[in-house]
Amino acid sequence: MTDSPILKISGLRAKVAEEDLEILKGVDLELRAGEIHAIMGPNASGKSTLAKIVAGHPGYEVTGGSIRYRDRDLLELEPDERSRAGVFMAFQYPVEIPGVSIANFLRTALQARLDEGEELDLFDFQDRLLERMDLLDMEPAFAERPVNEGFSGGEKKRNEILQMAVLEPMLALMDETDSGLDIDALQVVASGVNKLKSERPEMAVLLITHYQRLLNFIRPDVVHVMVDGQIARTGGPEVALELEAGGYATYREAEAAV
Amino acid sequence: MTITAEMMEGVTTELCREAAEHAASEGPDWLRARRLEAWDLYEATPMPTTKLETWRYTDLERKLDLDRLELADREAVPFDTVDYPEAVRTAMNEDRRGTGHVVEIDGAVVHVDLDPELAALGVVLMSLRRAVDTHGELLERHLATKAVPASDGKFQALNAALWSDGVFLYVPRGVRLEHPVRVTRWASAPGTAYFTRTLVLADRESQVSFVDEILSPNFESQTLHSSAVEMFALDGAQVQYVSLQRMGRGVFHLSQQRTLAHRDSTLDTLNVNLGASVARLDLNAQLLGPGANSDMMGLYFGDDDQHFDHSTSQDHIAPHAKSDLLYKGALDGASHAVFRGIIKVHPGAQRTDAYQTNRNLLLSGDAQAHSLPNLEIEADDVRCSHGATVGQLDEESLFYLMSRGLGLERAERLVVQGFLGEVLSRLPLGGVVEKVSRAIEEKLGHA
Repeated sequence: MTDSPILKISGLRAKVAEEDLEILKGVDLELRAGEIHAIMGPNASGKSTLAKIVAGHPGYEVTGGSIRYRDRDLLELEPDERSRAGVFMAFQYPVEIPGVSIANFLRTALQARLDEGEELDLFDFQDRLLERMDLLDMEPAFAERPVNEGFSGGEKKRNEILQMAVLEPMLALMDETDSGLDIDALQVVASGVNKLKSERPEMAVLLITHYQRLLNFIRPDVVHVMVDGQIARTGGPEVALELEAGGYATYREAEAAV
Repeated sequence: MTITAEMMEGVTTELCREAAEHAASEGPDWLRARRLEAWDLYEATPMPTTKLETWRYTDLERKLDLDRLELADREAVPFDTVDYPEAVRTAMNEDRRGTGHVVEIDGAVVHVDLDPELAALGVVLMSLRRAVDTHGELLERHLATKAVPASDGKFQALNAALWSDGVFLYVPRGVRLEHPVRVTRWASAPGTAYFTRTLVLADRESQVSFVDEILSPNFESQTLHSSAVEMFALDGAQVQYVSLQRMGRGVFHLSQQRTLAHRDSTLDTLNVNLGASVARLDLNAQLLGPGANSDMMGLYFGDDDQHFDHSTSQDHIAPHAKSDLLYKGALDGASHAVFRGIIKVHPGAQRTDAYQTNRNLLLSGDAQAHSLPNLEIEADDVRCSHGATVGQLDEESLFYLMSRGLGLERAERLVVQGFLGEVLSRLPLGGVVEKVSRAIEEKLGHA
């Protein structure tokens, strides 16, 4: 069973809901437990859309193909069911929730994972949260701040990593987690992901990124290049380095020539 | 003279003149005169219509049927606490740390207790009706005079004519109450009109908080609950008033409040509207002395076809005073909220700080909010601002919460809690904040 992929995307086609704009034009991708994959691509290639569709964003409509997650049909599940089944997406633009502290938010998210009538032990939760924050070198006071309200770009991304640390997903989708971060903030965020990964090696990670620099800090096993809604190339880490040197232009030309 | 049920039918017809006369038949001369004068004013004042700006969104012709109401029967009140309705006993038991407690059932005070040490210091907490006899002079000066007089409007006049009972609280100079005084009110009869008043007098340098919880079952036929609240904070006094309205459906709740804040005093209010079918609040805060400060907070959460209409005014009469208003509401179902607020800076009220914010969160496509903030400034050296928003729970926020495992309902609940919680975070009253949070959570659980 260890050989069956945790995520298997086959021939996936999708468009913006209530519009005719097709974004994914037949995507195939397989991710196994413990693997780190990166999807790189130019702007508007569909790489963020792919992550959002795996997480269940209501703004898109799947028009063809399938997504299997741990041998289940993922598209049958609501976004909250996907989360409780172990899917996590770190948002490119995390949303503010005024008046709701991070601690309260996470407590509610963990409570939602329990059966009806079962109550989360608040002392255990507090201990767990502090331990997770300690692991990520975060001050306990951070958890008392309202979710993302008035946060810097770096704080927002660190908050995403904290949520990932507490929720312990099987599959983590990192949607342009590096965007808008300076090199120091990027290192902090990447080191958080690496710590969680070394803690739970079986976790699969899908990094969505425009730039190669994130991959200096989080080493992918497989790199995919996505262009115009399709995977144009799949290879090892060397693919990212080629892109760094040559840019996406060669892929665009190839597209244009078809 | 005794008055029988059939004599009291209707509040607006001539029989009601008799009711007013009956109400005026007891008590000292000044009170009799005041009641009858109020009745005359009531009759002389036309029923407000939607043509008036202050009633534009609340159509009384459709929402209130005065002719079908009967006056409360004061005799049917249980005297033993074991006979209190369950909801009243639950509310009483929730927070036992109060320094005093009043229970009002069907328009009559049935229970008062006050920490004996405070009584020895001269604190007075009692039935307003009884206070007419024991503290006549204080009442004559303050009852329906400067705060909520009959001349304020038709319903103020009706209450001043027909009030059956209420609460009187006096805190002497320099006396500070560590825990709140609590009032639990209950109205039980459908098709009934209740008129109750509250008078709070905080003498110089005193301190008191007052939590007024209003409850009832749901009613098939309309019940009117009219409450007039008059609050005086003399120089240096600190007063906090919290009204938690959790009445049942079928209730038309009217609350008419005025706060008078003298030099260096603090007079804060929090009005929470969760219950009733229609709730109308008229709140006027007067800043009468330099250094006076009023924080005015409001929370409302509507569902079904609930209708909340808030009308506030911040009257800056003295210079160097501050008022800060924050009203926030969440609206589900086909509920409707109106906020109409005005900051008035009178000539000479220089160095005024006055702020006004109203925020609404619509949880359903059928819910509505109208927000009408306003400024009227007749002084030149002031800092004033006002702002209003009506927002929706957007798809992106919901997706964010759901992507962490929260089901749709739990996600909505959390957003509403956070949205309304901002108001409570401004209120430094421990037990009260929890009580209000619990009431909101309970309503969220049912929504």
